[in-house]
Amino acid sequence: MKLDEIIRFLSEPVQEGKVSTSDKVKAFITRDFKIWWTYKLWVTLDILGSLTFVATYYFVSKIVTTQALMDSGYIADYLTFAVIGIAFQHYVFSSVSSLSEAIREEQWAGTMETILASKTSFGTFLLGESVFRFIIGSYFLLASLGMGFAIGARFNVTAPSLLSAALVALLLIASHMVVGILGAGAILKLKQGDPIVWAFSWLTQLFSGVLYPLGLLPSYLQWVGAAFPLTYSLDGLRRCLMNGEDLSSAVIFADVTMLTLFVVVMLPLSLWVFRKAYDSTRREGALGQY
Amino acid sequence: MRAAELVDVFRGEELRQRAPLRQFLGIVWANLKILLSYKSWVIMDLLSTVASVVMYYFVGLQVDPVRLAVSGWGTSYLTFSLVGVATSNYLWTCLTRLSHSTQHEIRGGTLETVAVTPVNMLVFFLGLTARGYLVSLLYLIGVFAVGTMGLGVRFILTPGSVIAFSLLFVLMLVANQALGLMAAGIVMVHKRGDPVTFIVAGMNEFLAGVLYPLEMLKPFPALQAVSMMFPYTYALDGMRRALIFGATVTDGNVLADIVILSLFSAILIPVGLKVLQWGYRTIRVLGTTSSY
Repeated sequence: MKLDEIIRFLSEPVQEGKVSTSDKVKAFITRDFKIWWTYKLWVTLDILGSLTFVATYYFVSKIVTTQALMDSGYIADYLTFAVIGIAFQHYVFSSVSSLSEAIREEQWAGTMETILASKTSFGTFLLGESVFRFIIGSYFLLASLGMGFAIGARFNVTAPSLLSAALVALLLIASHMVVGILGAGAILKLKQGDPIVWAFSWLTQLFSGVLYPLGLLPSYLQWVGAAFPLTYSLDGLRRCLMNGEDLSSAVIFADVTMLTLFVVVMLPLSLWVFRKAYDSTRREGALGQY
Repeated sequence: MRAAELVDVFRGEELRQRAPLRQFLGIVWANLKILLSYKSWVIMDLLSTVASVVMYYFVGLQVDPVRLAVSGWGTSYLTFSLVGVATSNYLWTCLTRLSHSTQHEIRGGTLETVAVTPVNMLVFFLGLTARGYLVSLLYLIGVFAVGTMGLGVRFILTPGSVIAFSLLFVLMLVANQALGLMAAGIVMVHKRGDPVTFIVAGMNEFLAGVLYPLEMLKPFPALQAVSMMFPYTYALDGMRRALIFGATVTDGNVLADIVILSLFSAILIPVGLKVLQWGYRTIRVLGTTSSY
């Protein structure tokens, strides 16, 4: 093949592909699962790590009183309270942070530019990576809750409260996809140390009531917690899983409303921020830099 | 110079023995420069470390002081947990630093480059480790400063208790660094994940009594026995006695902790060096210094 033929071949408009977005997302999930499953020892250790963290709070619960929990309207022991907080905080943090890590991996390996030079949009790439992370996160979530139950956490659930918990959990995922998208934008620009996910992690641990009820915070700090979707998610989930309340409860209804508002307002905003970061990185030709 | 002489030079280790201190300082400085180029990350890391202390302040508000006192550790949960959280974070960062840096160098393709220069590889690995120790020390000081100046933690600081704490702290690092050396050796060969540090850090957090008094383990003799197998358990016990009660090296419990930690160090450090050496030799023989 002569040079002008090669140039003509490369200049031809690319034919529209027949691979649907859902097939591409499935391909991403399969690829990431295969990579993840290659490191079986690491997977086992990761699960053990989550379980021992839950078990640690079994012993902490032995020196804790439940007065503060009751004052905040939770009917249960500290172990159940802590298990729900740890399991769901870990779930969203690991899902969200691993999305940034996945982008970082692609940058490191030099595959970021390769994928984006193909007919796969960044939106599809991001969706594929996110879905896989949340699937894996769910696995750890169930393991943590199961471990909690095995060591004495007691859940008080009815069919309506379980359905309400499922709705809150869905909103929890949707609202934290927003954080993940913002983090992905930040990692594209900053390359290392995604500040959004870091800030999200320590601020939620501190202000969202993961290990203690928000009532223990001074009033001037409680408003900080009100800015995070995890605060409403944990409150709603605990009331459903510990108290057996459902959507007919005014507090849970308020939590669901706040989460829905957060998703409606923040999702388009996060996509816009991400698009800006992505375009700027492409203009700088820095997609493959790390 | 003839070809045979050149081959001898490359085979020899003479060049690697030169100016180890300069090489060491150069490696530490290079790594500090890399770290400081990610300023937002450094700030976030510092803030999250401080936040972890504040978090335990609020956890402490739920703790029953009577139950804590029955365990023999005073009535302030924050004071109790601060020593555990600060030292375990420090230890975890130090332990993982070497294996993370080694993994980083392999992925960046720079381990092979360094290996073919006259840099002494032991000095190189020490330099990577020292950077972790220095940076983490700043975080450790920050955590203690927030606890004591911001949240009202009161330690009993006398010359004797400070000496005892410092001695236990150094022994904790030495005994555990052996595990860090092993982890780096394993990472070099297996490329991903450092199971040794992961297991040790997880078990430390769970069984060494970072967040709860070890007396809580009494109904579970098997767990209690496992906790006794980690050097950090003894280090934490001694450091808490020094800072909370002002105990010195003449205290029977502190002295026992020091002896046990010294024994751990004497046994584990040679093993750690052997594993590191094995890892480095293996990847050179297999030609996988750059594969990941």
